Amino acid sequence: MNNMRSFFFIVWFLSFCLAACSDAPRQQKGLQAKSDNAADFSGHWELDYGQSDNTQERVNVLVRELRQQAERRSQSGQGPAGGLVINANGYNNGESVSGLVRLTDMIARTALLEIDQSADFIRVRREEDSDLTCEFYDDSLRQLETPFGSELCGWRDHQLVFRLVLPGGLAIQHVMTTGASRSRLQLTTTVKTDQVSMPFTINRVYNRFLPGERDFRCEMTLTRGRVCTTGPR
Amino acid sequence: MYHGSALAHIVCRFLVLGLVMGPLSAHAQEAFLDVGLLVFDPGIPTDKAARSRLGIFPEIRKSEAKYMPVVLRDVLMQREGWGAVRVLPELMDSSELLVTGKILQSDGQQLSLQILAQDAAGVIWLDAVYEGSATPADYSGSPRSDPFIKVYENIASDLLQARERLGAARTSTIREIALLRYASALAPEVFDEYLALGESGDYTLQRLPARGDPMLERIVRLREQEYRFIDTVDEQYVNFSDAIAPAYLLWRQYSAEQAVFVDDFENRVLVRESRGRPGSFAALEQTYNTYRLSRIHAQDLDELALGFNNEVLPTSLDISGTVYKLSGTLEDQYGEWRDILRQIFALETGLTPSL
Repeated sequence: MNNMRSFFFIVWFLSFCLAACSDAPRQQKGLQAKSDNAADFSGHWELDYGQSDNTQERVNVLVRELRQQAERRSQSGQGPAGGLVINANGYNNGESVSGLVRLTDMIARTALLEIDQSADFIRVRREEDSDLTCEFYDDSLRQLETPFGSELCGWRDHQLVFRLVLPGGLAIQHVMTTGASRSRLQLTTTVKTDQVSMPFTINRVYNRFLPGERDFRCEMTLTRGRVCTTGPR
Repeated sequence: MYHGSALAHIVCRFLVLGLVMGPLSAHAQEAFLDVGLLVFDPGIPTDKAARSRLGIFPEIRKSEAKYMPVVLRDVLMQREGWGAVRVLPELMDSSELLVTGKILQSDGQQLSLQILAQDAAGVIWLDAVYEGSATPADYSGSPRSDPFIKVYENIASDLLQARERLGAARTSTIREIALLRYASALAPEVFDEYLALGESGDYTLQRLPARGDPMLERIVRLREQEYRFIDTVDEQYVNFSDAIAPAYLLWRQYSAEQAVFVDDFENRVLVRESRGRPGSFAALEQTYNTYRLSRIHAQDLDELALGFNNEVLPTSLDISGTVYKLSGTLEDQYGEWRDILRQIFALETGLTPSL
């Protein structure tokens, strides 16, 4: 079983490393710094709960697929018979699957997005989370490396893709898509861990909204802190 | 462009002023050298990716490039041994002593400045990197105290030491060369012959103009007028420096605190144990939150930089608009002012001013 786990982890790891660790900054695993079809995501977006995935339904799909995968392996003689595989190391066990689902749900919980976009820089401000940022200076993809993980983003045709590779076998991918009318934005969050053989994906749909003219308008200052005023923008 | 009436007005002022300055010899006998501090090179890489990688915020660097020469000017003025110390918007290579600087690093924790000091004769007094470091505790003093004041004091001490090695005769020669270089820039066909330029860029006096040379007296008057403009500009830099000081000090303090926090955070993360079994929500959440927090802190610095820009940019724009009623930036205005002086010189002498 450890061999099987290692095999899947290596496949997963290689797929992410090919995407994130390549020396070719202009194009990495289908991601590009420029796209003729690059969408404009700029603006304010609020979560549409009705149009977004129901997490429980997605969990049901995941569990069903894991069972089918386990059965296929069992039938081919690659694993023990019956349901999900449970072993001492926790691979594909209930705790690991639950951990994967809860983390994905936590990451995808953002109800409000504020996106600033220019030709060479994109910042996605997420409520209660860190910003997702993307830089394309000199038409190159920029990979951000920190002691706590690495971050890469780029265009895949009209989609904007963010990939995070974190320690402990954790990988996260966000894919942003919008239609021609730019009234809706779909944020697809996929999380993969080395303890579950399949990734878990949640789709969130956001609707564009315009902050009201009478809303507060705040500006950061150093000596006075955040200064807010009301009135037309 | 400036209007013809403005030029006529300035010409009239010159005619009314008449002879103001004495001959070259009297001027050169003054014991102290004037110092010109050129606004520093902010050291901003042209490559935007490099700026991002090095954590350089361009607007802050541009402000620092104006702020730091004013701090150095204040330190130099506190020491005896110097004449006028002025912050220059543009290179004035006929300065008696010209000090230029480049910001190599400035992040609240470290300050690193490349300083070059060269006298009018082309002799290099200093060409060195000055560095200093500060901790968040160093920011607890008065709002006007600079945690890196030692860096500026070291530069001032080295300049003073170099100055003290000069005799009175050499000091006088440097002043004479400075004036003749200024004169030569205005009327090379008249004044070029007084100076020889060596291969290494050093100037030597060949001979001196006659005592009471009317052409040189005009030059002296023109230079005094240029100094008056620079003094006005210098005042604007001081005002700018005073205006941004509180925000700039806070920026550096926060920046230093952030750097210390990140170091501590990294150390704590490296030694701490995982909260749960691999794959469990507790373990995954810990990994994700660690990354999330590190990014939030890095992004806080971006937010603070924006706060600095929001506060300082109006002041920055203001200094460009308050000096005289010429158009463009302070640097443009200085260039226009120098053009006016050259035209006045041409009107008075009938000579074609050099560009």
